[in-house]
Amino acid sequence: MIHFDNVTKVYANQNRPALDHVSVDVDKGEFVFLVGPSGSGKSTFLRLILKEERPNSGAIHVAGKDLSRLSNFKVPHLRRRIGCVFQDFRLLPNKNVYENVAFALEVIGKPRRFIRKVVPEVIELVGLEGKAHRMPDELSGGEQQRVAMARAFVNRPMILLADEPTGNIDPATSIGIMKVLDRINRTGTTVVMATHDAAIVDSMRKRVVELEDGKIVRDQSRGVYGQAY
Amino acid sequence: MRANFIFSEVWIGLRRNLTMTVAVIITVAVGMAMLGVGLMINAQVGLLKGYWGDKVEISVFLCNKGTAMPACNGKAITQTQTKALETHLEGLRGKGVREWFFEDQATAYQNFQEAYASNQALVKATQVEDMPQSFRIKVSDPDNYQSVIQAVQGQPGVSQVTDHKQLIGPFFQMLDKLAYYALAVAIILVLAAALLIGNTVRLSAFNRRRETGIMRLVGASNLYIQLPFVMEGVIAGLIGGVFAAVILIVTKVLLFEELGRFFAGPTAQLGWDAVAQTITYTMIIGVVICVLASFVTLRRYLRV
Repeated sequence: MIHFDNVTKVYANQNRPALDHVSVDVDKGEFVFLVGPSGSGKSTFLRLILKEERPNSGAIHVAGKDLSRLSNFKVPHLRRRIGCVFQDFRLLPNKNVYENVAFALEVIGKPRRFIRKVVPEVIELVGLEGKAHRMPDELSGGEQQRVAMARAFVNRPMILLADEPTGNIDPATSIGIMKVLDRINRTGTTVVMATHDAAIVDSMRKRVVELEDGKIVRDQSRGVYGQAY
Repeated sequence: MRANFIFSEVWIGLRRNLTMTVAVIITVAVGMAMLGVGLMINAQVGLLKGYWGDKVEISVFLCNKGTAMPACNGKAITQTQTKALETHLEGLRGKGVREWFFEDQATAYQNFQEAYASNQALVKATQVEDMPQSFRIKVSDPDNYQSVIQAVQGQPGVSQVTDHKQLIGPFFQMLDKLAYYALAVAIILVLAAALLIGNTVRLSAFNRRRETGIMRLVGASNLYIQLPFVMEGVIAGLIGGVFAAVILIVTKVLLFEELGRFFAGPTAQLGWDAVAQTITYTMIIGVVICVLASFVTLRRYLRV
């Protein structure tokens, strides 16, 4: 599903590579934690998957597509198959829950009837039934992140990328968020989650890929956050 | 493609920078109006040139009783003198003169009545006897009429020789200058409009960076992301174009119809078809400029 082959990314005006000869494979339906300190290259890894950045060397395949050969024109179609969740939710403050989720479908030209059908389903899936008409500022952080997850998942992407989704949320609420991510993963969606949250990584017992200074220092199935050896 | 979605986005964008939108509309309106006036002056000059080109090019006015020209000494032209002039002109046929005819006082008065139909007071104050007799000459080579003028100038009984080129030449030159002036102003305003549209789109893009960020993320196509911004420019341009059209119609009624009535007959009137054509051109140019300005700005400020 996601295949990095010897990928190096150096940002302009920086000597140290953000990713340094990284090779990793993520299979369909996997749940992968991406851990490591700030600046270790986690976000760069996610941005490369979305083709928001281009690698300096190495090959990236996502959902069977060689990103280096994917024309700019087709990048939006790649992104339709990838959902994204961020630490800061990125909801539209002037739209309610339903409209925020529907927005993701409206802008890719889905028919209205389809939107009316699937948006309530996804809102229920993330556990926000009955709150479809609330505005984002009337919701707690955890609820806002659920809206963001609903928006990321409403188009049934093959891959869900989560960049520290629990970073702004207290530990108790984070458990609920992780349950939603797990539920999404169980539908067959590949989930890649970058995080600092040791408790969550330890409790989930999923594959852990650890980055340090742009290099993969650990790749462990059913791993924990800290060094297990 | 969901049209109502795009249009709601466009509406939000236009309302959020209302002042910029108004500035764009005014600039486009005035710019396009100037462009249109320039084009209309050009068309009018063409019509007038055609009208006058068909007319007599040299008039040889003959002495009348009481003509205040020194060449006449206050005496009217005699029969013999007229005959002599006719022979003279006939002799020039083929040597610069294509054809000539005699215009008597009655015909002159009739033409005068027609030309000044809008000024009845003047027509009433003028008698048939006040009108000069004249020979009207069409030259074979319009650019070389000086020799013909010299040939008749100073002949006995000739009070004055005028050529229409001399009379209307400066007028055409002035119209041409006006047209160039209008076009120059139009170009400057079009530049200003393009910059204003660029700024408006930039503000819009900045105001809506959250939305566009999410659109990019969920895989909206470039067209879908950019279209609302381009449409903002187009709609502002169209509204400006409508105002420009109104200005052009008013100009046609107030300026060109008066101009045509004063300097030529109804045949040289700038028609409504010409005005419609000008309006169409200016509208198209206005909208194209808006689209281009929007696109160029979006490429810089809206990374997709």
